[in-house]
Amino acid sequence: MRKLRALLLGLAGLVLCQALAACATTPPTAEALANNDPYEETNRDTLKLNGKIDKYFVIPTVGLYFLLVPEPGRRGVHNFLGNLELPTIFVNDMLQGEVSRAGKSMWRLVINSTLGLGGFLDPASKMGIQGHGEDFGQTLAVWGVGEGPYLVLPFLGPSNPRDATGLAVDVAMDPTNQIHFKQHIWWDGGRIYFTLLDLRGQTYQTIQGIQRSSVDYYSSLRSLYRQMRNQEIRNGRAPGQDLPDF
Amino acid sequence: MRLSKPLMRRSFLMAAAASSLLVAAPALAVPNVAESFVDENIHKGLDILKDKRLSSVQRRDQFEGLLLSLVDVRRIALFTLGQYRRSAPPDDVEAFVAAFKNYATAEYQSYFSKYTSQTLKVIGSTERSPTDFIVQTQLIDPSSSQPPAEVDFRVRTDTGKPVLVDVAYQGIWLSLEQRDQFVSFLGQNNGNVRSLVAHLSDLAANLGKPSN
Repeated sequence: MRKLRALLLGLAGLVLCQALAACATTPPTAEALANNDPYEETNRDTLKLNGKIDKYFVIPTVGLYFLLVPEPGRRGVHNFLGNLELPTIFVNDMLQGEVSRAGKSMWRLVINSTLGLGGFLDPASKMGIQGHGEDFGQTLAVWGVGEGPYLVLPFLGPSNPRDATGLAVDVAMDPTNQIHFKQHIWWDGGRIYFTLLDLRGQTYQTIQGIQRSSVDYYSSLRSLYRQMRNQEIRNGRAPGQDLPDF
Repeated sequence: MRLSKPLMRRSFLMAAAASSLLVAAPALAVPNVAESFVDENIHKGLDILKDKRLSSVQRRDQFEGLLLSLVDVRRIALFTLGQYRRSAPPDDVEAFVAAFKNYATAEYQSYFSKYTSQTLKVIGSTERSPTDFIVQTQLIDPSSSQPPAEVDFRVRTDTGKPVLVDVAYQGIWLSLEQRDQFVSFLGQNNGNVRSLVAHLSDLAANLGKPSN
């Protein structure tokens, strides 16, 4: 049990496989097929499960985190976690042939790891080298791999087979997982926990807003996830020609 | 790269205008109409939302008045019904358009009120068709070192005057998301538009409560 993240991903996959196997007995509705969401029934159940985990575990600990750690401290944690992702982002930039963006990722890593005191500060942004996200799910998309049906992963949320595969590859290629040391589980556990706190803390108001204004939270999340991922894969604005007519 | 395309398009149009004014003049004029429409009116909307002298009721009423003069609510409402627009009884569709108007007003107000401390800058536009434009803007937060957020406005000009039909924040289009929700809701409720109307009315009342 050296890699807690790999375990979590595996556990999510196992729960999902069991759920999808159970779902196979009930055929998907025409609506679900039209939405490229043949496992909608199972996905909705998983979203409910994730909502309970969020309500009873994540939100209370995020509240405690905000109470105990002042804003500059939380920003430092956010910067540090972002810095840890830079090697993976750099590799994916290169795999997508985005040499200029790869250069930015590399410079951010060098500058923030040194002048930024191990990544807790972000002097690179002040120098005009802004950060960006990249992952292996996006790399697969750039290589022409289709997203596959919509999935809601236990613990991890909205995804699809392409992005779930990408997540597993990103975990495998993360250099910190290649460094073996005693008590690695505490490092992994701490990183996952603080990533969760950071991410949920940042998205708290947005998610609350979506829940408050949604007619159907599940399909709202599905639409937002797909549009957001398309934007990330394009690395920017859509040309506008793909939009439907009004 | 993202900025260069609209600029290149504009340069091309200007060159075309120099060689053939008769052909190029309308094509050049219309994108500017869309851009100035967004530039003027979105600032008006943000000014209302950040005006501290207004009571919450005055702010809501003024914003609603402006919004309804700029947005083609009926067109958006019919779009968000998806395939159910054709099968629903006409009375139900009219009830939906009325309920959607209240919901959209409340949602747009809630959406834009988050950005009142920021500045919106028009950076260009893309022509989808001679009457359909995407106006690209940047939302600049003076207190942040992060890059500006990308906000796009879709403007139609086929009714004689420019009207807003959609808005996107960082590539996420609001009307697409609303259509996905409504169609899914109707799919689960046997296409019953009246149940969607009731749900939207509740949501509009909830969104209109003074939380912002």
